[in-house]
Amino acid sequence: MMDTSPGSREVDVAATINGMQVTHRVPARLLLSDFIRDVVGLTGTHVGCEHGYCGACTVIVDGDAIRSCSTLAVQADGSTIRTVEDLATDGDLTPMQQAFHENHAMQCGFCTAGFLMTLESVDPDDYREPEQVVDLLSGNLCRCTGYQNIVNAVCSVWEVERS
Amino acid sequence: MKPAPFDYYRPATVEDALAALGTSETAKVLAGGQSLIPAMNFRLSQPDLLVDIGGVEGFDRLDVGPSGVMIGASVTQSRVMASDEVAEAVPGLRQALHHVAHLQIRNRGTVCGSIAHADPAAELPALAIACGATLFLQGPAGERTVDAGDFFLGPFWTDLGEGEIITGVHFPSEPADTVTLMDELAWRSGDFAITGVAAAVATRDGCVSGARLVSFGVSGVPSRMAAAEQAVLGFAPGDDSSALYGAAYEDGGDAVDDIHATAEYRREALGALAVRSVRAALASNGNGTGV
Amino acid sequence: MTLDSPTRINPMIRHRASHIGRAVPRREDRSPLMGRQRYIADLKLPGMLEVAFVRSPEAHARIVSIDTAPALALPGVHAVFTGADLADVDLFPHKILYIQPVRQPVLALDQVRYVGSPYAAVVATDRYVAEDAATLVAAYTEFEPLPTVADLDQALAENAPRLYDDWPDNYLVNFPAEKPEVTQAFEEADHTFSDTYVSQRQTGLPLECRGVLADVHDGYFTVWSSTQSPHIVRTTIAEMTGIPEPRIRVIAPAMGGGFGTKTHIYPEDVVMTWIAGKLGRPVRWLEDRFENLLTGVHARDQRHEVDVAYDDDGTIRAVRCKAICDVGSGEIFMPGTATVFVTGGCLTGGYDLPNMEVHHFCVVTNKTPSGAYRGFGVPEGMFVMERIIDRVARLTGTDPVEIRRRMILQEDQMPYEMHGGGRIDSGSHAKAFERAVEMIGESLELVRARYADDPDVRVGVGYTNYVEPTTPTYHLTTGFWAGGDSATIRVDPDGSVRVGLGTTALGQGTETTAAQLAAESLGLHPDDVTVVMGDTDRAPYGLGAWGSRSAIVMSGSILMAADRLITKARDIAAHLLEAAAEDVVLSDGNFHVSGSDAPTVSWSQVATSAWVRTLDLPRGMEPGLEMTGYFEPPELEHLPDMSGKVNAAASWSNGAHAGVVSVRISTGEIKIEDYVVVHDCGTMINPMIIDGQVHGGVAQGIAGAMYEHFQYDTETARPLFASFMEYLYPTCSEVPAMTVEHFETPSPEQPLGVKGCGEGGTIGPAAVVAGAVDDALADLGVEIKATPVTPSAIREAIREATAGGGER
Repeated sequence: MMDTSPGSREVDVAATINGMQVTHRVPARLLLSDFIRDVVGLTGTHVGCEHGYCGACTVIVDGDAIRSCSTLAVQADGSTIRTVEDLATDGDLTPMQQAFHENHAMQCGFCTAGFLMTLESVDPDDYREPEQVVDLLSGNLCRCTGYQNIVNAVCSVWEVERS
Repeated sequence: MKPAPFDYYRPATVEDALAALGTSETAKVLAGGQSLIPAMNFRLSQPDLLVDIGGVEGFDRLDVGPSGVMIGASVTQSRVMASDEVAEAVPGLRQALHHVAHLQIRNRGTVCGSIAHADPAAELPALAIACGATLFLQGPAGERTVDAGDFFLGPFWTDLGEGEIITGVHFPSEPADTVTLMDELAWRSGDFAITGVAAAVATRDGCVSGARLVSFGVSGVPSRMAAAEQAVLGFAPGDDSSALYGAAYEDGGDAVDDIHATAEYRREALGALAVRSVRAALASNGNGTGV
Repeated sequence: MTLDSPTRINPMIRHRASHIGRAVPRREDRSPLMGRQRYIADLKLPGMLEVAFVRSPEAHARIVSIDTAPALALPGVHAVFTGADLADVDLFPHKILYIQPVRQPVLALDQVRYVGSPYAAVVATDRYVAEDAATLVAAYTEFEPLPTVADLDQALAENAPRLYDDWPDNYLVNFPAEKPEVTQAFEEADHTFSDTYVSQRQTGLPLECRGVLADVHDGYFTVWSSTQSPHIVRTTIAEMTGIPEPRIRVIAPAMGGGFGTKTHIYPEDVVMTWIAGKLGRPVRWLEDRFENLLTGVHARDQRHEVDVAYDDDGTIRAVRCKAICDVGSGEIFMPGTATVFVTGGCLTGGYDLPNMEVHHFCVVTNKTPSGAYRGFGVPEGMFVMERIIDRVARLTGTDPVEIRRRMILQEDQMPYEMHGGGRIDSGSHAKAFERAVEMIGESLELVRARYADDPDVRVGVGYTNYVEPTTPTYHLTTGFWAGGDSATIRVDPDGSVRVGLGTTALGQGTETTAAQLAAESLGLHPDDVTVVMGDTDRAPYGLGAWGSRSAIVMSGSILMAADRLITKARDIAAHLLEAAAEDVVLSDGNFHVSGSDAPTVSWSQVATSAWVRTLDLPRGMEPGLEMTGYFEPPELEHLPDMSGKVNAAASWSNGAHAGVVSVRISTGEIKIEDYVVVHDCGTMINPMIIDGQVHGGVAQGIAGAMYEHFQYDTETARPLFASFMEYLYPTCSEVPAMTVEHFETPSPEQPLGVKGCGEGGTIGPAAVVAGAVDDALADLGVEIKATPVTPSAIREAIREATAGGGER
């Protein structure tokens, strides 16, 4: 049995973010959302509730969409992270980004990154019915649009028939 | 909403994890963290040491065998949900997991973590009881197993001893004559249940021959519904359901009042959900694949 | 200069492809799509420190002592300030003379009146350390608890504890009323009934919380604040701190929504400015969600005690309503007193009911101060009105649609003066209702068929016909400002246009809309127009974005500025063309002599003459090509007349909502199966953006109808909420697909005929959902009298109506 704490207050976090290698020594308590925004400086990921509910902070870690406010930076050590800044290539919007624009699926834009990263993380073939799309989108809150145009945008890109 | 300071430790073996937990009275196990980290952000939980079991050897096992499914302590809910083999062996798991929060939470949240957290309105503890699951625990005094039915003692309170952790949970394969399913009322998609029922219903000749019915979200702890389990014996699809409803209503005698619903509402809902669940189980029995 | 606001595009502009009424895609989208939008939390300055506020854990208490030493000893903590340290900051102003003065300090000094009330501020290297220190300050603060007041009944009880020692009671507003014609109608009517209707405490809840970043340089303050009204923040900071107003620049960066909650001037705006000055370095405070739920203004907490006089045939002769608003502690600027007057004034909605007597009361309790939320009192009133109509329909056996047809405003009644003085200039009230009835009728049949075989499910339909007062006076809300706003337009030498606006953007698409308006007004293309808002140094003085006002005030002020520009530009162009000014017209962005296509002079040539080659200007003309319009909406009144009537809104949009719900009797589960909106906001500038406003408004209305509810412990007045687990912000699964159609009845008085559309969506759902549930459960005798309509509430109503629980 150990006599003193085996842990440490500060930790090294090395990760690949949007293809870029980053290594930082940070407090163990630093949230991944704060690591991405304040330490790495990618502010496209937003913080809306810090208790895992609103989804504004959704990023993709090793392929999975997760809430970065409910994850410690140290838990992402060694992982590959993607954020909204990684979607468009040379300024060209992805089809989903373009659909959000064309369908007026965003107003204030604060939730948009979270929605986009959730959508980016999944296989559209798993969401062939409008109900499945609605269910998927329910993990991200939007206060402006009433969701209608977001559902429309997603269905248009994934070619899901809405009744 | 930032966590208070703590020490972080990521052991590679269960022995190291247990040793680390022994160094502090406020140490917490960090698995998926989907309940713990929000609680820490609110500073409702202020452990001085977090033991991250994400890297513990063997905790990532997800084994499906003839006897059932063995889920290691660091296996995420999404991983369990995605496995067709799991869905084949224990169909109720996939269906129940669908009610657990949303994709992003399930991608990190673990099955064992949810069971250890023991939120009285959570789906997985109730499902574990309904399925007759077995919990594998390890602590300073060694290893032991506990039936899920004996594990939950109160709100966020379990049989876990000081310094003890869940290393895995075993869900037995669904018997051929049994359908396991879950039904719940939540005001929003993905929320904890206002009232829920996890049901394992065995049928013979089109009638209920046995059932484990478990309420959750109703009182402070997921509970077997003794009266309903008795009343449901022999129940057939066309039967009048008022006796079953009444029995389930009685089973909700310790229902709680809160900001979302009254105790009386929870009892009524429990009655309705018990009837609904049993009817759904009967409707889908024949093929043994659940709903 | 006198007010000479034009209402139409200048007639000298010819051959233009109109930019008004087109679904121009939003220029605002690209930055947030790419993750490049800059919200308040994305701004950092070198040397910046972070602030956390220490907030009262007590609902009502005296502060006995605060020991800041332990917090100051924490590594990374730079300073801790309490209310006593800010003695040189004035109290919040009191400008509305008919309400009790609250005059709260920016940080509570000796008494706290709600959980969350800020009483100290910690400055540290980062937010983590600041929170550590704030926890320590709280641990070393001694409170002496005082008796609490948790709701209206407690506040109005005899010998109730008082929140303010120097007040006689807990009334912030006490405005009884009496109308002899109402009294007479009650004597003459066949029947009367009394009832009580309740709207619950909610909030606008933008997904982005608030935040303030303040910096000082050479005595010049820059304050970034997530606010809907940067100019008003600036004026208020100047007034309270004594900093000369020109030495303060307030910038509202990109905002993640506001919904009214960010119209208020919060203590943090002032305290952060003061701290920056005190420390001489930039400081930032980012509100977290816990703070936001506790201290962002709440709203809709109203009770209505009504008496109704009606006849056997379903005619409603008169209504008397005591409208009582629980405004929480009242410690907010501007005070939350105006909403209840809007509720009263708009209570009759789109119906002709002159015999209305409303008594207005605001009562303080030990809860979060209440204030603005999209809809601003109208949803509460519409809920009451439609409930009254449905009850009269039921009591008299009249068809609820028929009774509404009899009461609804007709086109030939326009302009129509409402009981409180609101003058509805125009509208499509009857037509919109008929269309809504038609649309919902089709889906009602489909939904009934869908559940025909399920005896546990009942289906019902509900309606509402509302008016949406737009561009209201700010005077009745603040006791200070009026209703106008401004635009400055400059044409640069390259022919491109810069429009500075006093209103702000918080996500509605104002930039795109403003560019459409400016392009239309100058005969240019929206791509030629750059819009600047939300910066007191770069945009002219204005009151900001709230009250569905931006469409009217932008139209008016842009038209004014554009008209002045065109007049000057035409003179310059005529000079360059060597023609008479009255012969010059503007087509496709070029000036030329009417009737001849060449030669032409472009905007760029005119602007080059005005700014650069000023030697080319007509003799005696001053250089420059920049004009400002300060627009005050016509017809808008700021003070009541002798009878208490006031037309407090510049225009009145209207709409009809209808919805079909299914209700499961055994569990009370409720599903909105279909929802239709027939909407009329006058001339539409951008229909796509208007649809978006309606969708979002309806979603918030549904949130209030069925989900969101701030509840407090009745013994301790402590909040029973801290997170989205308790405050049920709806997800995509809870908001139904909806169909929106429009009529376009232009305002005869407002520029271009626009009316405004920001709030209408929120007004209908509470009334529609309650009406539909009543209809579905009519045979059980259920009557819904309060929101939110939750499954638990429905079961309770069924139990009460059936003395046991109805069917199982």
